[in-house]
Amino acid sequence: MNLKGIKMGDIRKENSTGHDMLFTGNMRIKSSKITRFKKNTAAWVAIVVTLGIAIVVGFAGGISQVFNAIIAGGMWALLAMGLAIILGVMNVPNFAHGESFMVGSYVAYFVFTPIHNYLTEHPSRFMSAVGPFIGFIMAFIAGFVLGSLIERLVFHPLRKRTKARWVMNAFLLTVGISFILSYGTNLILGPNFRGIPRYWDVKPLIILGAHMPVDRIVAFLLAMISISVFWYFLKKTKTGRAIRAVSQDEIGAELVGINIDFIHTLTFGLATALAALAGASLLFMFQAYPTVGLKPLYFAWFVVMLVGFGNVSGAIVGGFIVAFLQTATQQFMGIAWEDVIPTLVMMFILIVAPSGIFGTGVRGIQEQ
Amino acid sequence: MFDFKNNLKDLLSKTGFSTAGIIALVVLLILPFIPPFNNEYILRWLVVGAFLAAEAVAFDLTAGFINVVNFGFAAILGLGAYTSAILTNTSPVIPVQVGLSPWLGMLIGGIIAGFAGFILGFLTLRLRGIYAAIMAWFVGIALLGIVRNIPKYTRGSLGYSPVGLLETTSNRPYFYIAILLLLVIYIVSKIIVSSKYGLAFKALGQNFDAARASGVNPTLYRVFNFTLSSFFAGILGGFYAHYFRSLTPKAVMHTSKTVEVLAIAFIGGRGSLWGGILVAFPFVFFIEYLRSALPSLPGLHMIIYGILMILVMIFYPNGVAGLIKWMKTGISRKKKYPISLSGS
Repeated sequence: MNLKGIKMGDIRKENSTGHDMLFTGNMRIKSSKITRFKKNTAAWVAIVVTLGIAIVVGFAGGISQVFNAIIAGGMWALLAMGLAIILGVMNVPNFAHGESFMVGSYVAYFVFTPIHNYLTEHPSRFMSAVGPFIGFIMAFIAGFVLGSLIERLVFHPLRKRTKARWVMNAFLLTVGISFILSYGTNLILGPNFRGIPRYWDVKPLIILGAHMPVDRIVAFLLAMISISVFWYFLKKTKTGRAIRAVSQDEIGAELVGINIDFIHTLTFGLATALAALAGASLLFMFQAYPTVGLKPLYFAWFVVMLVGFGNVSGAIVGGFIVAFLQTATQQFMGIAWEDVIPTLVMMFILIVAPSGIFGTGVRGIQEQ
Repeated sequence: MFDFKNNLKDLLSKTGFSTAGIIALVVLLILPFIPPFNNEYILRWLVVGAFLAAEAVAFDLTAGFINVVNFGFAAILGLGAYTSAILTNTSPVIPVQVGLSPWLGMLIGGIIAGFAGFILGFLTLRLRGIYAAIMAWFVGIALLGIVRNIPKYTRGSLGYSPVGLLETTSNRPYFYIAILLLLVIYIVSKIIVSSKYGLAFKALGQNFDAARASGVNPTLYRVFNFTLSSFFAGILGGFYAHYFRSLTPKAVMHTSKTVEVLAIAFIGGRGSLWGGILVAFPFVFFIEYLRSALPSLPGLHMIIYGILMILVMIFYPNGVAGLIKWMKTGISRKKKYPISLSGS
């Protein structure tokens, strides 16, 4: 499960002064075999602990809790993958990822509701099976357009202007975007909750004795398929290779004729689209309202911090680890502690393994 | 011979006052007696302005110098507020009735918040700027969660009403207290950043590894910076609690509160300390005006914050302070040394 080329942490800093190059070299020496082994140990410990949590949750809350955790894990993985890609390719720590999720859920709501109303008057089995997917596709497209626009309008001018303190500036820009989007939505659509009870009006499936609503299963499958397709895209297609090349060495990629601007726009658009897709497919769980993105954002960032900024595969595994942690917290402490316990766990992990459990030797991207 | 004039000038520049600064301060001090501002309603805006300005200075001490945006700032402020509120409580709504004086409560709140900042500083020590910011955000969310989850002591989302700092209901004394807090925070910060500590902060903020290689101890300076900034935040939190006399976790500790401070500090000009003060007052008036003029558009001010922040970040990273500095240099040196846009 190693996406060889794409070591997210391992980005050469595009720096006008060139000071950091020197020190980047220094950091690399640290990732000797010993540290690698230690990091792998941390990863294995985390996976074993997660399986332990899964078993405990299974006994305490029933098998359906385990399934719910797996489904949530798929979603966190999808969101965290988007974050990791943006971080790797563009060096942008995206705080507006939750708003992409929010946009997706709104689009899905506004597309699906008329379809649903139409179907209640003109029942059609085929359309009720396909209808939600129209919403998903529209959310994906809307997310892509939004992401591309943001990249063109915000990051592109900044990149042209100055690259000094890029990471922090870009982060603060995304904070601004996040506020504009969520409060703008609040202004236009109001703070109302817009949700649907379910996408597919069919009986829940029974898996290992647990009743699983079809919506959840579809959401999970959708997340898994998106992750696989995106991965295939990165690994096998020419454009995907170009994205990986940019994430490794922007100047080098430019030298061999890759259109950096295009790659940046495409990456941001795709990552935003994936987040919007997640929002759309989870509309039955997360009703659409202006700040719905906060929790997904929190957990996606949590995953990225937890696994370190090293690799995308780590983000996928990390999604499940975080989901089980979250489910266990809900199970034993109550849903109100969902924000607290994971942070405490995170503090502990960062003390033991500061670059994350799957971290590469490089401690995250360089600043300045 | 004792050169009084130059000594005074020296002292003033050390504590961060230019002639314009002194004039602004004097104007600010007599403002509560000048007609449109002596109205209680508008005085309240002035208090809010001074409070926000003080917050921006405390925030800029971390964000503008060591280049770590403390995303848990509001939560730490809230920690100070709740500590002070609980320690001064005399009413039977919560089981703790210590009944300390609010002034002492503010100080203890500051110390507790400073301790939280100390821990946060250690925790984020090994993380680079942006990850430290995210970690501080997590810690802030956790603090908010804790405060919400112990309603026995904090009354959670129901809101809690602490005792007032003063007996009076007039806003004028509160305004002077806020100005005093602002001045103390500003002067202490300025003295520190113009000492070798400030140099070390800047070095760490600009290039962590290079600073460390040249012998700057990151542990000492980063933790010290976090502790001090959080201590200020805690004191301000105490003031918030005993002035507004209403605390809910969401209204005090939410991330959006941090972003408000961040926006003011950054539009004012990061790393300048006084830029935030300059921006805070007009901003408060503008926003309060907006709120009363367009009540049908809730949260519009947050959108304006967002847009302004993006514009400043892209087109003028040095903010208003940078603009003023540039105009000064432009006049005196005719742009012989154009200032860098890197914000350093």
